[in-house]
Amino acid sequence: MRAVAVLLVLAVALSGCASSAPPRPAARPFDHVRQLAIVVSGESRFSVLEHRAEPGRTFDEVLKWGVLSPYQALLRPVAELVHKGVNWLLDVDRKADAAVDLGGIAPRSVVSAAFVQALEASARFDEIQIYAREPLGEDRRRAEAIVRISVPAWGLVRVREGEPDLVSAFADARAEMVAPGSGVALWEAAEDVTDPERLPLKSFTGDRDFTRQQLIDVLQRAGHRLASELLYARSAGR
Amino acid sequence: MSARRSLWLVVLLAAAGCASTAGLDVGYPEAGVNRSLLASSPARRVAIGPVTDRRTEARIGVELESKKDVVTRRPVTEIVREALALELGKNGHVVTSGATDVVLSAAVEEFWLDAISGYSNVHYVGKVAIALVLTDGRGGQRVFARRYVGIKRRLAEPDARDVPREVMDAALARAMHDVATDAELVRALTRLTTAAAR
Repeated sequence: MRAVAVLLVLAVALSGCASSAPPRPAARPFDHVRQLAIVVSGESRFSVLEHRAEPGRTFDEVLKWGVLSPYQALLRPVAELVHKGVNWLLDVDRKADAAVDLGGIAPRSVVSAAFVQALEASARFDEIQIYAREPLGEDRRRAEAIVRISVPAWGLVRVREGEPDLVSAFADARAEMVAPGSGVALWEAAEDVTDPERLPLKSFTGDRDFTRQQLIDVLQRAGHRLASELLYARSAGR
Repeated sequence: MSARRSLWLVVLLAAAGCASTAGLDVGYPEAGVNRSLLASSPARRVAIGPVTDRRTEARIGVELESKKDVVTRRPVTEIVREALALELGKNGHVVTSGATDVVLSAAVEEFWLDAISGYSNVHYVGKVAIALVLTDGRGGQRVFARRYVGIKRRLAEPDARDVPREVMDAALARAMHDVATDAELVRALTRLTTAAAR
């Protein structure tokens, strides 16, 4: 009887393991894709992100006062809104300080060009066309997949506390690959990309050409990063 | 007897607790490793040579509140060696210590986690910089050298305990993905055949 019980437990456990084992994934749905259409899309916002504690710290300290403790849960969302508002105002000022001229180049265009360059270097695609808007007619029919590239945010971000704080150029880039016609999403990636170099904010605000180059570098890095993740997700086909 | 067992249990639990706080368990999980561009060169026998630590500090950061050192549970050189071995193996190359086609040397130049305090959250920035050098296993000639830098930024709640490790994992993974999809590295590995066949 005891042996039967043990067998029962084992059987249940084994069947559980078998049913919970994830099925082996089939070939990725874009492994066959050799012809790509890249569409530069979306708006980009330049900002200087500092993630500072200062504007909200006072409010945070107020929230620690014993007399307000029963209302903390109620006040915190309000405090966060105020904090965001203050930071936004600071942001506007600093944005003007670090205003840069990319010579009419849109950040998403730089990212897209670097993305295409990296994909071409991989020799994994026969044809890659880049478009400023959604391709039409024959162009759309020829593409086996459409990749939409956007850069919602880019600028400078504080990456280290100290005297002085250090900041880096950054770009938050996104890519979405869809099948034309069906609109089925085949792959997507969102990459927070940061330049490896870290410098005081003055280095950026005091030298427009340097800032411009740092920003272009990080946008190119973002394009390579997205390409790297696409190639990594795609099987080798060997 | 029962009391002695209980005592051992307490000791074991305490030891396990200590182990979990001994450092960040940064790694490169095998489950996330793909065959990618690196698999498109002919399969090579690769010896992973010395992985050196060129950092100026043994710690990888400083805790925001306590100002205590943040360290990894295992040496960063071991973490990087393991990640490289996994990536090479998954891409069809044979990691060996015997006769080799190529020797891959690595240097860890940076392995650092910054934590920047914000109003209601913490901004984590993890950075991993690794320099790789590929030398011909027969002649010892340098055939490829490149530096890979993986950086991850993330905003998190101050009490999110797993985030520092996850940020460093992600930074390491980005560096490794860049290695695995580097067309120049693949070309260097492919050219090696031609050189060996001569």
